[in-house]
Amino acid sequence: MSYEPPITDYDEIVENCTCAFCGCNCDDLDYLVKDGHVVAVRHACRLGASKIMEDLDQRLVVPMIRGDDGELEEVDWDTALDKAAEYIANSVRPVFYGWSETSTECMKEGLDLGQYIGAVLDNQATICHGPSLQAVQNAGYPIQTLGEVKNRADMIVYSGSNAMNSHPRHMARYSVFPRGYFRQRGRFDRTVVTMDPKFSDTAKMSDKWIGFEQNGDYGFYNAIRAVIKGKKLTQEVISGIPREDIYELVDEMKHAEFGVLFFGLGLTHTLSKQRNIDIAIKMVMDLNKESKWGLTPMRGHFNVNGFNIFMAFETGFAFGVDFCRGYARYMLGETNTIDLLVRKEPDVFLVIAADPGAHFPNGANQHLAHIPVIQIDIHWGPSTELADVVLPGSFIGVECAGTSYRMDGVPIYMKKAIDKPETCRDDEWIVREIKERVMKLREEPNVAPKYIPNPAAE
Amino acid sequence: MEYILKNGIVYDPANEVNGEKKDVYFKDGKIVEDVSSAAKVIDVTDKIVMPAGVDTHAHIAGPKLVLGRLYRPEDSRRGVTQKTKVERGESGFSIPSCPTTGYRYSRMGYGTVCEAAMPPLEAKHTHEEIGIIPNIDVNPLTLFGNNWIVMELAKEGDIDGLAAFISAWLKITKGYGVKIVNPCGSEAWGWGMNVHGYNDSAPYFDVSSKEVVRALAKANEKLGLPHSIHIHPNDLGHPGNTPTTLETLDSLKDIVKSTKKSASVRDQTVHCCHMHFHSYSGTNWRNAGSGAPEVAKFMNHCKYATGDVGQVTFDETTTMTADAPMEYDLYRLSGLKWVNADIECETAAGIIPCIYSKKAPVSALQWGIGMELFLLIDNPWQINLTTDHPNAGPFTRYPRIISWLMSAPKRNQMIESHEIHKWAEKRTMVASIDREYDFYDIATITRAANAKIHGFHDRGNLSVGSNADIAVYDINPNDFDPSKNPDAVERAFSRAKYTIKDGQIMVKDGEIVSTKPSHVIWSNVKGMEEQEKDIIDKVMPFFKQYYSVKWENYKVHDHFLSNPIRVDVE
Amino acid sequence: MKTITFDVKKRNQIALEFDEIIPDTIYTWEAEDFDKYAVPVGNSRFPLTDFFDITVEGTADSPADVKMVFNGDCGRVKYIGNKMSAGEIIVNGDADLHAGAEMSGGKMTVMGNVEAHAGREMSGGELEIYGNTKEFTGASYIGEWRGMTGGKITVHGNVGKQCGECLTGGHIHVLGDCDILAGIHMTKGVIEIDGNVNRWPGGQMKNGNIIIHGKLGRLLEGFVEEDIVTDPQIDGEIYKGRYISFKGDIALNGKGHLYLDAEKNRDKLSAWKETDDEYISLGENRKYR
Repeated sequence: MSYEPPITDYDEIVENCTCAFCGCNCDDLDYLVKDGHVVAVRHACRLGASKIMEDLDQRLVVPMIRGDDGELEEVDWDTALDKAAEYIANSVRPVFYGWSETSTECMKEGLDLGQYIGAVLDNQATICHGPSLQAVQNAGYPIQTLGEVKNRADMIVYSGSNAMNSHPRHMARYSVFPRGYFRQRGRFDRTVVTMDPKFSDTAKMSDKWIGFEQNGDYGFYNAIRAVIKGKKLTQEVISGIPREDIYELVDEMKHAEFGVLFFGLGLTHTLSKQRNIDIAIKMVMDLNKESKWGLTPMRGHFNVNGFNIFMAFETGFAFGVDFCRGYARYMLGETNTIDLLVRKEPDVFLVIAADPGAHFPNGANQHLAHIPVIQIDIHWGPSTELADVVLPGSFIGVECAGTSYRMDGVPIYMKKAIDKPETCRDDEWIVREIKERVMKLREEPNVAPKYIPNPAAE
Repeated sequence: MEYILKNGIVYDPANEVNGEKKDVYFKDGKIVEDVSSAAKVIDVTDKIVMPAGVDTHAHIAGPKLVLGRLYRPEDSRRGVTQKTKVERGESGFSIPSCPTTGYRYSRMGYGTVCEAAMPPLEAKHTHEEIGIIPNIDVNPLTLFGNNWIVMELAKEGDIDGLAAFISAWLKITKGYGVKIVNPCGSEAWGWGMNVHGYNDSAPYFDVSSKEVVRALAKANEKLGLPHSIHIHPNDLGHPGNTPTTLETLDSLKDIVKSTKKSASVRDQTVHCCHMHFHSYSGTNWRNAGSGAPEVAKFMNHCKYATGDVGQVTFDETTTMTADAPMEYDLYRLSGLKWVNADIECETAAGIIPCIYSKKAPVSALQWGIGMELFLLIDNPWQINLTTDHPNAGPFTRYPRIISWLMSAPKRNQMIESHEIHKWAEKRTMVASIDREYDFYDIATITRAANAKIHGFHDRGNLSVGSNADIAVYDINPNDFDPSKNPDAVERAFSRAKYTIKDGQIMVKDGEIVSTKPSHVIWSNVKGMEEQEKDIIDKVMPFFKQYYSVKWENYKVHDHFLSNPIRVDVE
Repeated sequence: MKTITFDVKKRNQIALEFDEIIPDTIYTWEAEDFDKYAVPVGNSRFPLTDFFDITVEGTADSPADVKMVFNGDCGRVKYIGNKMSAGEIIVNGDADLHAGAEMSGGKMTVMGNVEAHAGREMSGGELEIYGNTKEFTGASYIGEWRGMTGGKITVHGNVGKQCGECLTGGHIHVLGDCDILAGIHMTKGVIEIDGNVNRWPGGQMKNGNIIIHGKLGRLLEGFVEEDIVTDPQIDGEIYKGRYISFKGDIALNGKGHLYLDAEKNRDKLSAWKETDDEYISLGENRKYR
């Protein structure tokens, strides 16, 4: 890391902006603005700052359509929107994926469109914290806001999460280092434990590293639960951890005044998937008999939680909601994007504020190459190469205001600091335009002639 | 647009109209004296006409609702319906989605609902949901009872400071009134503890529940807010909690009601919510009994308190409250999936699914206690019909409760046929009470009293100038015995003949025919700007250090308010 | 007896949804009713006859008199036998998601493989699968803690992960192998597995019985060895052989039982001593202070 001199050449400072990178949603950023561009960002981590200060190299600025020769051609907005609407209006199994890097205001338009045409609406939870949500649905959800961690927590556990790299300010702003009301000495008042097969950067910052073996999570947590219940362990080594260490750890956890478990994708995507989280949640509940414990999933994108919350209050289901029959439906393995793509079901794919090209498994991307893909995004990415219609959006929290939900569910109104490039449009506007065009092209399918109550709710 | 609602049998307790056949005129969303001859006539001959319902206490929007929906897809699945030309699809039974909530309230003839718990930090979320609920107006109450700043001010006895704080925070959160939940108890839950009794205090905060409640009551009356303090006392749901409840209410007897115009609609200085959960005797669930006669006796001699029941309806529902330690106790009892959501420096919340079974002794006892409260409290203006939605049952069960209240034979039949567990018979006196509510009383406990308690002058009545919020039910009261036809009562109140909101016909023959965006009602205290500034300056160092958001991002921006109705308090 | 035969004409890439065509709804249908019917596919409906040749023979007075036969690959037909209460369904081929889900009676037989969620939340009847199935066989709807409550599922092939999740009654018999976490969260009922089991059966189980005739990969710490039993009687049925019985999952004070074939699972006995070959020494870095 070379030394970079501070930026002194700027027109104005916009204070208290919200970072549009990870689930920490740090809302204390100051943007230094010059000539309508953010030239520097104060307080942000490197990840956030480099996203906010992006240059226009890879910025999508003009709508594009893939021509007959297979190349993307620049077109005007009307042509591009008409083409997108035509694809969606003629579809039988449309999937609208993404939404985690845009505002809830835009999701509202997307939901209207999805309910109208009968689409599947899904977000990045399907490839990251979906197992966490499934576990929450099976086991419960003892959470707390991040300020509560700052003020009270004296034991912090990171499990399957490398916060130092993925959420760089998480430890500094919310969990480990800040001086809280009851933890006036900050870091010195807290015990930090990292549970990770890898000796990660977070583990280096911790007081203790529990390096259980890969895929051993479920067995390990089960042993912890058994010890909390007072059982003597029979095996000498459980999931690569000697049993004495487990006794010691449980003792420490029981005697914490306020403990918090932060877990990440390391826990959600090993062998037993959602059941790892399931048992971790149950462990936290058991620990509540002895002291006070909570947990928080380390959500990745800044508004991935927002989509889950938004869908829950609009439709009752968190993600992977299928409207194809005129009512909301949510089913594991049936209404999730990856499953649908691997089964080669979707015939139109709208991707907004996400990059399936980079994140999806190969089998899913193969199908994307065969069907029309409409992309609404601000950056070029592998998905652009798959896209048939490219619609350049705007950057929430920098060029456009909007609501997002932090990983702990705290809503934040992200303000606008600069103007967007002239040829770009707000995500909300784009989706609304597509919706209006689709409504003209196709009559609403699957409308019941009259309200039929659900007998289960009578 | 002008309308005449013709030949209905009108029940309007606020104007002491008891079943008179008369016409109701409305124009441009308001009830008027007369209309021109061009008015459209809606014939409701011999049908019940009441003001649209007002719900005193329900949980319909906010962060804990969304956690409930997020983690109970099996409940969402229970109410799923297909979309129609007017309605988007519904979902949910005990915790319906936002659009569903609006539709179902409308179908029952309701027009205004109080969202009873809004944590300030996540107030934006509550308002975002309110914006999505169609057809009903919502007044959210802001949570104050466990706020660290409130506790500090109460300890100092700084009532002026507290009044300024409430005034400022109502503006910041766009709240309507002061809600207190398990004062000091939810803070103690931050350490996994609870407070026991009214005089206990939270760890590290040397202030008792009693001091906090009294300070907030005084500050509330000093400001003259339209609603009194809205309290959920300590020890909810614990056998033997009746003394705590009575002590709480009794401690407020010397609070002088504000003389300001804004507070003139209401008579009370304290509203105690879901009283049935606070009226248990005994020491544990084995020997638990009813404390309702005691509470009713107190209420009958008390002029400054009102309450709502929170009637148990024998359903599989979801309990959710800011009383988080109580929810953990429930989790220890049932072992079902448990949600806890602590909010920094302000409050906590808990959620757990709950099955009230007719065959379960405790549920039967709870049902009996609720019924006793309804039947033993003499003045219907003092007690409201609620289920504390969704805690004791979903709001869609109000019609069933109405049918129970109107029919002593129905209640006795439920008890005598052992449809419900014998604890209802043995440990409560429901079977021996033959009081029956009439339609006038029902209109009081679902509309008139509710509006009065919340300080609404323009709803819950059919006075000239009030909002044209009207419900019509398909019953001819002159030719109908509700005591003998409880099922018909339930049917009629579940599906209103007409629901009219702000002069717009929302429901016809039990079907939604149109929708409209909801309004949010909030209180704006005027003339306190100086004091508010002082108190904000005073708490700012604390805020900067111990909250995890910036001050600028804390307040509810106007962007989140859907059609706000501002109630100005001088 | 009414026999309705569905001969597959073409396999549609987007799944057909058959939740409206079960014996309970179609026992009065004649051939022309099927001609008129449009089946839900994605957000649209297409004539059923585009995908199937349908022949109707005989008459039926009740759903119990109906026999539905599918010939061909129904690997893209979801919800076959969903919520059926009587009658018989035979699929001579594969079936898609939710085969026999929420069944309360009748009999369903699939000769081929079945996708995930087979027999989800069954409350009665019989489901027999001759091929393999995937995840969540006989499981509950997500979030629901009361899963399958009755009936019997027999799988002649292998099953995927989390078979019998939240089982609250009924019997699941797997003749092949079983992946991880069979019987997770179960509270009642019996899961019998003839083949080998990958790992961790009975995680967080409260009650019920799991019998494994094959070899178990890894056992959870929450299970306590009780005894070696011969020919145990479980839910009124006698299972021949010698088994090690475990009680669990004591991580939540469970009272369930896990029976492992004694011969094949000697290594699970506490008396059995040999260096655990799965122990990986992590050296000095294991603990960092």
